[in-house]
Amino acid sequence: MFNYILRRLIQSFFVLLIVMLITFTLPYFQPHGILTPAYGVLGTHANARTIAEWGAQNGMNHPYVVRFWNYLDQVFIHFNLGHSYKQNLSVWNIISLYVPRTIWLALSSLVLTAIIGVPLGMFQAFRRNTVFDYGATGTAFVLYGVPSFLLCLLLLQLFTFSLHWLPASPPTGVAPWAIFTDPVGFILPVLALTLLSLAGLSRFMRGTVLDVLVQDYVRTAKAKGCSNVRMLFRHTFRNALGPIITIMGLYIPLLISGAVIIEDVFNYEGLGIQTLNAASLGDVPTVLGITLLTAILTLLGNLAADVMLGVVNPRIRVEGK
Amino acid sequence: MTDQVELELLSEEPGNRDDDFIPMWKQRWRIFANNKLAVISVGYLILLTLACFVVPLFYKTNQTNQATALSAAWNQAPTWHHWLGTDSSGFDELGRIFYGGKYSLTLGIFAGLITIFVGTMYGMVSGLAGGVIDNVMMRILDAVLSIPILILLITLLTLYQRSTLFLIIVIGVTGWFGNARIVRGDALLIRKLEYTQAAESMGASRWHVIRRHVFPNSISNIVTVATFSVADAILALSLLGFLGLGIQTPQTDWGTMLQDGASVISNGYWWEVYPLALIFIAVIVAINYVGDALRDAFEVRLLER
Repeated sequence: MFNYILRRLIQSFFVLLIVMLITFTLPYFQPHGILTPAYGVLGTHANARTIAEWGAQNGMNHPYVVRFWNYLDQVFIHFNLGHSYKQNLSVWNIISLYVPRTIWLALSSLVLTAIIGVPLGMFQAFRRNTVFDYGATGTAFVLYGVPSFLLCLLLLQLFTFSLHWLPASPPTGVAPWAIFTDPVGFILPVLALTLLSLAGLSRFMRGTVLDVLVQDYVRTAKAKGCSNVRMLFRHTFRNALGPIITIMGLYIPLLISGAVIIEDVFNYEGLGIQTLNAASLGDVPTVLGITLLTAILTLLGNLAADVMLGVVNPRIRVEGK
Repeated sequence: MTDQVELELLSEEPGNRDDDFIPMWKQRWRIFANNKLAVISVGYLILLTLACFVVPLFYKTNQTNQATALSAAWNQAPTWHHWLGTDSSGFDELGRIFYGGKYSLTLGIFAGLITIFVGTMYGMVSGLAGGVIDNVMMRILDAVLSIPILILLITLLTLYQRSTLFLIIVIGVTGWFGNARIVRGDALLIRKLEYTQAAESMGASRWHVIRRHVFPNSISNIVTVATFSVADAILALSLLGFLGLGIQTPQTDWGTMLQDGASVISNGYWWEVYPLALIFIAVIVAINYVGDALRDAFEVRLLER
């Protein structure tokens, strides 16, 4: 097991290098080159001479390969994610300030999605082609078809402006764990993010359980007089768990992308809003830092998912030895 | 269900009953046509696409002229002249829905085509090459799958340009990762099947195997995935529209329109959001139904359930 994890970690490191290469390269060839960051910093002092000086001071005049090498050096040797020219803050400062709030948002909706989506999908597969199944499938389809911003706005319209039940946005300037101490304001953002990922997960779960339900061992269990509950949880659930764990590991970038929209609509002060601001201002160092962080989280999530897969599935455990 | 199983059985022994022989595509069409929801969905999509392209030709209201819109009534409730009222810029809402739909649908289809083409090529090459090439290509796929795509899209659109063509390219180029995975899985599976191995042992070239065995047998998944890709591309465009990065005024797309309408919905201007929201959601749901029905039509295994 240890060897397996080590091998996967090394592999993840190379994947991370590819991520950095892609995210560094794509914005690199923007038509304005260093002019965008230079004007951001120099403002009215910008002229041909000062821009050239500033570029030389910040290592912007090197060729592409050297600059990419410097970027790797900066991240891996100096553990420095770079400096945001737009905000005049180190990227790490920006990220560390907002990351806990987004993590709590994403984690609570991930847990809620799993708690609701997994049993829902199982029950749908078990009672397939009934009114309940059709209803749930139809709802999932509609949820999948609604663009996330529209869903947020409809929720706002219903719960805040029409019913006056919930506040439109969570309290600002509070501790990241306020989601537990003062949850009322957080209900809508968490609900929106949960609904968005719930549609995909419950449908996936339904398909996976359907695949398991037609297996011979389930039929054998049924033939031996196994109760429905035991058949579902002992025989089906355990075998359907594998694909579910894998897909949950892949949910992290989706949650971050979803958080961008949701934080924007609900004015939730988190990484999403920061990302959106950085991306729409062309603040490349911040965008690079955030994508790098997301990629690391995703790769760790995938690794954790695969390790857990070995724990829940004896077949894989034996193969690994 | 039972008559479909019989159809499948018949096709395996065409020589026995020549007069009853039904070609494969016809059987598939029958399975598809049996799914009423899917047929309705196809009808809806065709009608809507036609409407988006034809209606603006003769439904002559102001849809793009900003100068005229300035003097028109803004946020006007539906009247006999403006069936769905006017939006916050003074454009006729109904005409604008069709006009924006032209952009949303065209963009979705073209971006979807790019994703399916790139994804199929990538997946096929990776699955068939095997070994080191496959490993490297899959690690690259792992890498791009761990990047939050929306953030990348926003950054690229901000830094480069916001033209329609660039939108198509960017949405297409960032949407194929999942497709590549599915196609590669198929290619790996089919390469191991007996008929492919038989062909290889008889000296078939790799190209022949791809052309005659791997591609025809994975086409079902490719077609299915292609439908979902179009839906995803339309959704992605709508998200960009919400962020103000969609088709730029005076042209428009559905995402931009929904955002414009949503920003005034608390004033009670329901006609600027709900009709379009219904049409939009129905488009995505319809495309997904069609995709599901296509999968059923291609999936022989499903007939036994």
